[in-house]
Amino acid sequence: MIAVAAPGYPLHFVPAGDLLGILPILIVGGGAVVVLVWDLIRPRGQEVWLAGLTGLFLLAALGTAIGQWVANSGPIVVFNGAYANDRFALFADFVVLITALAVVVLSPGYLRRRGLAEGEYYILLLASVAGMLVLDGALNLIVVFLGIELLSIPLYVLAGFARDDQRSQEGAMKYLLLGGFASGFLLYGMALLYGETGHTSLTAIHAFLLRDATAGHVDPMVLAAVGLLAVGLAFKVSAAPFHWWTPDVYQGSPAVVTTFMSVATKVAAFAVFLRLFSATLAPYRAEWTVPIAVVAIISMIYGNVVAVAQTSLKRLLAYSGIAQAGYIMIGVALGRPDGTQASLYYLAAYAFMNTGAFAVVTILSRRGEDCDRYSELAGLGRREPLLAGLMSLFMLSLAGFPLTVGFFGKFFLFSAAIHDGQLALAIWGILTSAVSLFYYLRVILKMYAPAADVGPVEEFEVASVSPEGTAVAAPTAVGPAVLVVALAGAGTIVLGIFPALIYTLLQGISVVHG
Amino acid sequence: MSWPILSVTLFLPLAGAVAILAIPASRVRTIRLALMAVTALTLGLTCVVLVAYLAVPPAAASKLSGTANGQSLSSIHSPITFQFQEQVNWLQSGTSLSHLHLAFNEGNSAFNQAAPPPINFSYHLGVDGLSVWLMALAALLFLVAAVVLSQRETRLRTFAVLMLLSEVGVLGVLTSLDLILFYFFWEAALIPLYFLMIGWGDPNRGRAALKFIIYTVAGSLFMLLAIFGVYFITGAQTGVYTFDLPTLIAAQSFVHTTQATTFSLFGHSFAWLNPQEWLFLAFALAFAIKVPLVPFHSWLPDAYSSGTTPFLVFFAGIVSKLGAFGLIRYNLTLFPQASHTFQPLMLGLAIASILYGALAALAQTDLKRIVGFASISHLGFVVLGIFALNVDGLNGAIIQMVNHGIVIAALFICVGVVESRFASRTLSQLGGLARPMPVLAGLFLVVTLAGLGMPLLNSFVGEFLILLGAFQASPVWAVLASLGVIVACWYMLRMYQGLTQGELRLPGTGAVSEQLQAVSRRLGRLDVGPVEVVALVPLVALMLVIGVYPAPVIRYGRFSAAQYVQAANRQTATEPALASSRSAARSQP
Repeated sequence: MIAVAAPGYPLHFVPAGDLLGILPILIVGGGAVVVLVWDLIRPRGQEVWLAGLTGLFLLAALGTAIGQWVANSGPIVVFNGAYANDRFALFADFVVLITALAVVVLSPGYLRRRGLAEGEYYILLLASVAGMLVLDGALNLIVVFLGIELLSIPLYVLAGFARDDQRSQEGAMKYLLLGGFASGFLLYGMALLYGETGHTSLTAIHAFLLRDATAGHVDPMVLAAVGLLAVGLAFKVSAAPFHWWTPDVYQGSPAVVTTFMSVATKVAAFAVFLRLFSATLAPYRAEWTVPIAVVAIISMIYGNVVAVAQTSLKRLLAYSGIAQAGYIMIGVALGRPDGTQASLYYLAAYAFMNTGAFAVVTILSRRGEDCDRYSELAGLGRREPLLAGLMSLFMLSLAGFPLTVGFFGKFFLFSAAIHDGQLALAIWGILTSAVSLFYYLRVILKMYAPAADVGPVEEFEVASVSPEGTAVAAPTAVGPAVLVVALAGAGTIVLGIFPALIYTLLQGISVVHG
Repeated sequence: MSWPILSVTLFLPLAGAVAILAIPASRVRTIRLALMAVTALTLGLTCVVLVAYLAVPPAAASKLSGTANGQSLSSIHSPITFQFQEQVNWLQSGTSLSHLHLAFNEGNSAFNQAAPPPINFSYHLGVDGLSVWLMALAALLFLVAAVVLSQRETRLRTFAVLMLLSEVGVLGVLTSLDLILFYFFWEAALIPLYFLMIGWGDPNRGRAALKFIIYTVAGSLFMLLAIFGVYFITGAQTGVYTFDLPTLIAAQSFVHTTQATTFSLFGHSFAWLNPQEWLFLAFALAFAIKVPLVPFHSWLPDAYSSGTTPFLVFFAGIVSKLGAFGLIRYNLTLFPQASHTFQPLMLGLAIASILYGALAALAQTDLKRIVGFASISHLGFVVLGIFALNVDGLNGAIIQMVNHGIVIAALFICVGVVESRFASRTLSQLGGLARPMPVLAGLFLVVTLAGLGMPLLNSFVGEFLILLGAFQASPVWAVLASLGVIVACWYMLRMYQGLTQGELRLPGTGAVSEQLQAVSRRLGRLDVGPVEVVALVPLVALMLVIGVYPAPVIRYGRFSAAQYVQAANRQTATEPALASSRSAARSQP
């Protein structure tokens, strides 16, 4: 029984050690409150301070997490076994916090250009980040659910943040409905697991399942629970065939929200996916590894093949995200330490390249609508050589070319798959990677294609738009935004040449096996 | 050599690229001079490496004589000697992943998971008698490309930078001795090539570039899987997990692999290829696409016909050699038995390439496509020599790789001259150019004759040795390949005669003399200009030198060829042991 139960202690104070263990969450959560208050009392027209304040809290949380990493190499379990502040969680925290920081830097300029309200945006963002941090170290089914909801509810609002944009509204509604549905699946799975094992603590569930499996007994109720959990989580990481919301939501949401959603959400959801499956449910590995592998393969095929047919940049990146989820899922399906390591590596790589790619979309977005049509990229190589170069870099990285971090992401995943004898996963991985080249390289081609290659209609379109485009070409906050893109690019290259920088971090990583 | 000459050679073009980026884009003259200086310096360094390598032979030659005398070679650790080796650790994972490991297991033996093997790879460079030649060739062709690169080329600075980056990639492929490092350069070289392809050339270049990249990467990805296969199988057999090529060759892990993979169908169990054969095929696929061998060649005509001349000089000249280089360096050494098993397959593909390329070249009217298909045919000879699996064949293949690089670059320059003058490269629209352009016709004649394998010119030496080697493998192969040589005369002379002899024909509508005057007015000249002569003369001189006095090239190439053949024939040394192990396996129920 997990019963932290207070009956005997009417005045129960939370021990300081426990609070210390969740310090990053407290900072981010507290930050949300402070920003909320500041938004009420701030003088008019000082919106940029909101972003500054938000960034400051995120930085503080990041610093705290780094300090915790340095201070303790071993796992720290707090709140009576409900939350683990182990290196696994801290690594995921790093990725989430860095992505969130990038998004916060991108936001002010973008929100101003699109004419969106600012105050609530940062509060919701911080709340969602808090949910992700909760999820990273959740060691109890209740906490998992808490984290998922804390992460999702602000995102439902953020997705519909462009109130005048019908697409945004439609996306938010879809996200809300399907997200609620997925939460239902997740909750049902948790209930079954609790009903069968009598525990909500992952540690206790693991011990129970271990006994079960050692006795050679496969419990159908647990299998049903595992299936439901997998469906719920596959929805959150947007793996096919549970991805139906992804393209619409990614396309409809404001570009900064999409950036945040596509990277940070995926990282947090994969963190809990990895912890639940490769650690807690490891005794049932023989039962779930094939279905998860099938989901991974379907994701890789569906995402990559459908992305080829897209004409919208954000949809293309959405389908690419589905495909990438499939690759990361390889590590989950393996259910072994090297698979987990490879998945974490890929998530870190993904954070750099995908944040970078979406950040470019954010910068290119003009008043009223996002840069979305494929054709808007035409001639970017001449207009914005730096942005076009960096966008090419991110596309090459997503395609897995060497010299970029994406190569080593796939490298470790495929190597782990082959080592574990899952040749099918590796082969589907490379076949679909070859398909993915088609659309990633086409983006590059579009940017650098000579004017003659652009059709007459599009040429007209470009011509008619360009006066306005040049007027908005130098918006005020593009400076820091370009800095974000440049940093993401630098990370993509540096980690692509020196993979050891992250790999050694993952070497000593510890997971509380839940 | 105490200072890392290979690294310096490798990264000199990179430094040059950075330096060129610092020059303002408008100063085209400076950019072009800087580009020529960097490529010339790189050529100088590769020549230093070449000379230093060739100066070593005493010790190496003694080893060679050891082979010739039939002495046991077991004392030599790895059959291939690499020189100027440099090694720096790149990714070193600890041997134990205890934290993660323990956390997952918590001392429960029922679910003990084996700790994953460490992943180590290093920045390991080195050259042997195969790569020194190709390095020098690569550096030469990049210099030639820099020379023919016109100052009027659009976005000259970007072109120069991308060209230097591709040079880094090419030299990296040739010098790397670690499978991961090799793969890294192999793929990374595609990035600048892709940008060069989409940025300059014919209108349909985007399609051609995409086709080329997808073909190549699809093949390479299978190679990546095979690299992991090599890594884990060698590790499992010898306990040494390494991507290091000399260590892998020395480990000889695949020499004894005979166990076939089996699959069952309808209750019957079928023996299928063994792991070594699978891995061989995966590597061979990547290289066959790059060469290209015939069923994988369809990217080539498009890519060659849409590129600009400077790009084609090094793209056709050296990039396509990398496939043949890979076949020798990796397939023969890592998978000796499979090389013998698949000898008929590879020879068959080579013959198919020779004949198909030759016949297709006959049917083309576009000059660049003719050269492209001729290239397929010529590279078929190279592969034929490689998989003759004897010293003569391999020796010929190494020489022919160099020869082909020289010839194809010169051909593309000649075709480029014609195209730049008359904005056409359709054979039927052009003719009789020998009269207005005598110098071009003269140089073109030498290049054409070299291309069809005329004695006293370089290709003859290579093709002769290759046919000699193929004959030793089986006379049938040699006879079939000779047919290719005959057709080569036909298509090369058809191109030369059509272009230079007969009545003067030009693509435009007006009177011929007026057209010629217009071209002269536009370009200031009609025949080859000084730049083109400077680019062509060294190539033509090399054709003559190698053709007239091939002895040094043959002698030094022979040493490496012998080493590779020895590596590929390692199974014969262990045949008795193998046979006994086979019979032992058979006797067991």
